[in-house]
Order: sequence, then structure tokens, then C-alpha cells
Amino acid sequence: MSTSAVIRTEGLWKVYRTGVTETPALRGVDLELEEREFTATAGPSGSGKSTLLHLLGGLDRPTGGEIYLAGQPMSGLSKDELARLRLTRIGFVFQAYNLIPVLTVLENTAFVLELQGVRWRERLRRARAILAELGVEKYAHQFPNRLSGGEQQRVAVARAVVSEPAIVLADEPTANLDTKTGLDLIDLMRRMNEEHATTFLFATHDTRLLDRVDRVIGLEDGRVVRDERVR
Amino acid sequence: MRVALRHLVRNRRRTLLTLLAVLIPVYFLVFMFGFANANLQDMFETATRFDTGHAQIRAVATRPMGGAIPLMRDPADALAVLATIEGIEGWTVRLDLPAMASAGDRSRAVHVRGVVPEEVAPVGGLADRIVAGEPLATGRGGVVVGEELARLLKLEVGDEVALLGAHPEAAFGAIRAPVTGVYRAPEATLGRTVIYADLETARRLARSEAAATAIVIRVASVASPRDQATLDRVVQEVRAALPAGYEVQDWLELAPLVATYMGILTPALLIVGGIFFALGGLVVLNTIYLSVLERTRELGLILSLGAARRRVVWMVLAEAGAIAVVGAAGGAVTGVALILGVEAFGGIPLWGAAAEFMREMGMSSVLHLTVDRGQVALATGAMAAVALLAAWWPARRASRLEPMEAMRYVD
Ligand SMILES: Nc1ncnc2c1ncn2[C@@H]1O[C@H](COP(=O)(O)OP(=O)(O)OP(=O)(O)O)[C@@H](O)[C@H]1O
Ligand SMILES: [Mg+2]
Repeated sequence: MSTSAVIRTEGLWKVYRTGVTETPALRGVDLELEEREFTATAGPSGSGKSTLLHLLGGLDRPTGGEIYLAGQPMSGLSKDELARLRLTRIGFVFQAYNLIPVLTVLENTAFVLELQGVRWRERLRRARAILAELGVEKYAHQFPNRLSGGEQQRVAVARAVVSEPAIVLADEPTANLDTKTGLDLIDLMRRMNEEHATTFLFATHDTRLLDRVDRVIGLEDGRVVRDERVR
Repeated sequence: MRVALRHLVRNRRRTLLTLLAVLIPVYFLVFMFGFANANLQDMFETATRFDTGHAQIRAVATRPMGGAIPLMRDPADALAVLATIEGIEGWTVRLDLPAMASAGDRSRAVHVRGVVPEEVAPVGGLADRIVAGEPLATGRGGVVVGEELARLLKLEVGDEVALLGAHPEAAFGAIRAPVTGVYRAPEATLGRTVIYADLETARRLARSEAAATAIVIRVASVASPRDQATLDRVVQEVRAALPAGYEVQDWLELAPLVATYMGILTPALLIVGGIFFALGGLVVLNTIYLSVLERTRELGLILSLGAARRRVVWMVLAEAGAIAVVGAAGGAVTGVALILGVEAFGGIPLWGAAAEFMREMGMSSVLHLTVDRGQVALATGAMAAVALLAAWWPARRASRLEPMEAMRYVD
């Protein structure tokens, strides 16, 4: 048990119940993510990647087992405490629909800071800075629907890192992008990982992305079948 | 807040329709209040100026009067009291007697109303209503009859009418009096029954030198039904100062029909207004609900990012609040503007059957709309509150969404 673990799971189970059918999505996952690690979780469709990310991000609760975020168990948290935790400790990049359509790129990026109660001037300054880093500052006053898919995902990455969370969870962030754009996005996330010392965990079933990460966690049928450092 | 406003701007059509749904009830109610005010004012003026005054001092009945007003042998003690009370603008003594009026071979049961024409000012009205002959004057001994009675008894100015007093508490006097004028009553029943005479003539008919049936009072700074509180205060004071054997009744007690109408009008308005408000509220509910439904995915995202549920509630309520405030204020402004506009053109003249009906009811046939700040505030505030209340449920629903399920929602 390392003290520098950002997040750690113990015997994590998740069983979905729809009516009478029970779908076990995770069956006893133990893993530990170190600070600054850039990790991918890979596996075929239905292997439980999304489920794992949702549990780690406090968007859903496990059926069994425990998650520790910076050593603190998450199971005892109330719904509102979980929301607070998502707001302050976790950055999310989803596959699509990451941005609020009625807000500009800049406003979207600053939105999390606004929810955190950061002052107006300060949050615009930080949002501008991160957009510049990601090379999308020229779209700051555009609405998301004017941007290409790749540009939207970049803004999503900006929104995820702007509040300097403990970990950024990205569920197939490149799934809707062509290969080149997808690789660029991963490179960008990598840069954020290095420059901001942010821990990243993303899910993918695109094996071409895997030679760009530190570590790959392979999932199959809700179990870890592979866990190796590739760099 | 910004998110809410942007949504309103983006769905302009829907926002506009919802705004109208909030605006129209307020507009309608403000205008109807104006209309009702005009109506009540009109009834108040007619009743108090022509008939009842603001209040009357009468003798307490000691036996069944059969429709007559009890007689005061000499109301000097009551008059002395009036002089001591502040806030009384004026008064006049009146003697109302049941009587039989005959001309030629026709006769009718009538009501002789003895007044002091020179003092009628506090009650007023009669001189303006003379359509033939002269107004009443003291010392001339003539009487003024209503148009309707003149027709029934075939009387014209200059004819003589025989009157036989029939007050149960007075001696039965008989006189012959010339008809010196014909008046047009605000109400046909009055015109058929009330004969105006000067007080002296009426007293001869009662064979009593100082008798009266009422002291009609006008109270200062009472100009509309809304000044009832002032009136009540003065009436209380008079009542407390009067010797035993007298009572005071205000115009509402003296004109019970008007009082009943007034009692019905406001609640009726509020009920109709309430229905409009409920409909407006439903439209707001529908709009906000649709807006929440359409934005399920966005709300899911906002919740995923960790927004507090309270914040989501506020976001949705802000959207409704903007509509509520702008719509209700718009309704108030347009409603007041309409009223002021109508008044700038001299009020609403009624025509045809409506005008005739109003005349029969003793009301003027031109309506003057007035606005009352309290009523406008009531209509505006109530509608805004209803709109916000209607948004509460969708707002709560939005905040209770499961973030992940909401994000999977496809519209
Ligand atoms: N909300 C849900 N209700 C019921 N079953 C679910 C739910 N979400 C996921 N599952 C099931 O759980 C299992 C794991 O799903 P999950 O979405 O975690 O897989 P995944 O690895 O992300 O797949 P993909 O690559 O297709 O995104 C699947 O069998 C899926 O059908
Ligand atoms: Mg998935």
C-alpha cells in the first residue's frame, strides 16, 4: 500500500439490476493509481471500463468493496458530499456532450470554478490560461456547436484540468474522433499530465493509443486481466 | 443565472408565449379592477349624492313602522351634537312620509320627501335632474315629481296634486300643492314613488312643526367606497355622542343592494382572476417542465461536474423567475397604460341597452376607470408568485436527476 496512491480500490463489485436480470459489470477489482500516473484502461465492449470510471468518479456507488480517494473511503459519503467531491477533486472528460451548449468556450471552462465559488476575475484568468495552453483560446467566445469534435474535446480537457483536480477520468474521450485527432488529444492530455502533475485515467478500446501511456490496465468481464507499466 | 437567461433567449418563441401567459392575466385583472373601481365609484356617487348621503341619523323605532321611517319630533338635540364633531362636512334635515297622491281621478301611494333645497348641497343631485319646470325652493310650497309619476298621474308643471300624509306616528295631514318641477330619477322606482317637497310643506303634511325622519350627513374627505374607514370613524364618534333614542346608519346600511353588489364584485373578480392565474401558472409549469426535459443531458452534465442540487433548483427557478417578473410587470404596465389611455379619451361611454340598464340601476352611463396601487401590486405579485410556484416542481425534479442516467438521455 503506497502512501502516494491517489486512488485505490479494494474488491470492487458492481452489479446492475434491471428488473429481474442482474448484470455483474465489475467483479472484484483491486487497483491503485499513483500520483502523476498516466494510465489507460482497455478492454472489449462491455468489459466494465465505464463502470469503473463512474465508480471512481463518485458518479455511482459500488455494490461491494471500497474506494479510497487520497486514503479516504468514499462509501460513507452522502449524495451531496459525493457531488462536492466530484466538484473539487475530480475532472471528467466524457465521450461526447461535454459542454453546456448555451455557454461559450470560456464560460464552459470557467463553469467548474464558478460552481466552486471562485471569483469572476480569477476564474476567467485561469480559464483563459488553460485554453491558451491547449491551443483553443481563439474559440474562447464561440459557442461549442461552432467547434469541431476534436476542438470540443480539447475544451473538455481544459474544463477537466482547470480546477486542478486530484485525478482526471476520461471515458473514451477519442471514440468520436478520427485517429489523428484522437492521437493529438491523447498527446495533449499527456502534456497536461506532465506540466500540471495531474493523474489521468482514461478508458479506450483503441489499442493504438496504448503506446502513449505509462500503464495499461486490461479489463475483461469485470476483472483486471492485465496491469503493466509500458514506460 | 446566465445559463437560465441564455436558454430563454435561445427558445425565444416559447419564452414569448410564456411571457404572454403571465402577462395576460395580470393585464386582465388590472383592467378589470379598474372597471370595477369605476363601477363602485359610480354606485357610491349615485347613492350618496342623490339618496342616502354618507350616513343618516334616525330615531330608533319603538313600534312596527310598516315601511315608514320613525319620526323624530324635534331633532334639535341630535343637531346640537353634530356641531361638536369634527370631520362633518355638512348635514341637512329630511322628512320622509308615506302619502297618497291624487290628481283628477288617479291616485297612487307615494313617498313625500321633505328637504331644505338650499341645504340640499350636502346631499345634492336633485337640482341637476330637473327636466321640466323649476327646482324646488323653500317658501313656494310647490312639489317636484318624478317623470314616471308625472306620467302615471297625468301631471304637468302647474297642475295641482292632492297629498294625504299617512305616517303611522304623525297626524294625517292633507294639502294641495302645485307641481313646480319634474325630475329624472336615477332609478325608475324612485321616479315613480318619490315626490320632493320643501321641508315646511312636508311638515304641514305631518302636522308637526319640527318633525324629521333623518339627518343626512356628509363626511369630509370621504369620496369613494375606499374611504370607508374614515367614514366608520366619524360614524362611531357621532353614535357615541348622540342622546338615547337615535341611531346612525351609513350609506351601505341605507342602500343594502349596493352593499350586496359591492360584496359580490370583488370576490367575483378575484375568482375569475384566480382562474386566469391558474392557467398562466400551468403554462409556466409546462414551459419549465419542457425546458428541463429538453436539457436533461445538460442538467446531467452539470450534476456530474458536481453542482449542488440546490444550485440546480435555483438555476431552473431563475429561468421561471425571469419570466415571472418580466411578464407580471409587463402585464401591470400594459394594464395601467390601457386604463390611463381609456381615461385620456374620457372613459368608456356605454350605449344602447347597457346604457339603459345602467340608468335603471341608478348608475352613470360613462365609466371612468381608475387604478389602485394596492390592486396592481396584488395582481402582479400574485401572478409572479404563482409562476414561481409552478416552476418549483420541475426545478426539484431537475435537481433530483441521476447524473449518469440523465447524460444517457436521448431526446
Ligand atoms: N446502467 C446500466 N444498467 C444495466 N447494465 C449496465 C449499465 N451500464 C452498464 N451495464 C452493463 O454492464 C456491463 C459493463 O458495461 P460498461 O459500460 O462498464 O462497459 P464498457 O467497458 O464501458 O463498454 P463499452 O466499451 O461498450 O463502453 C455491460 O454488460 C453493460 O451492459
Ligand atoms: Mg464505456
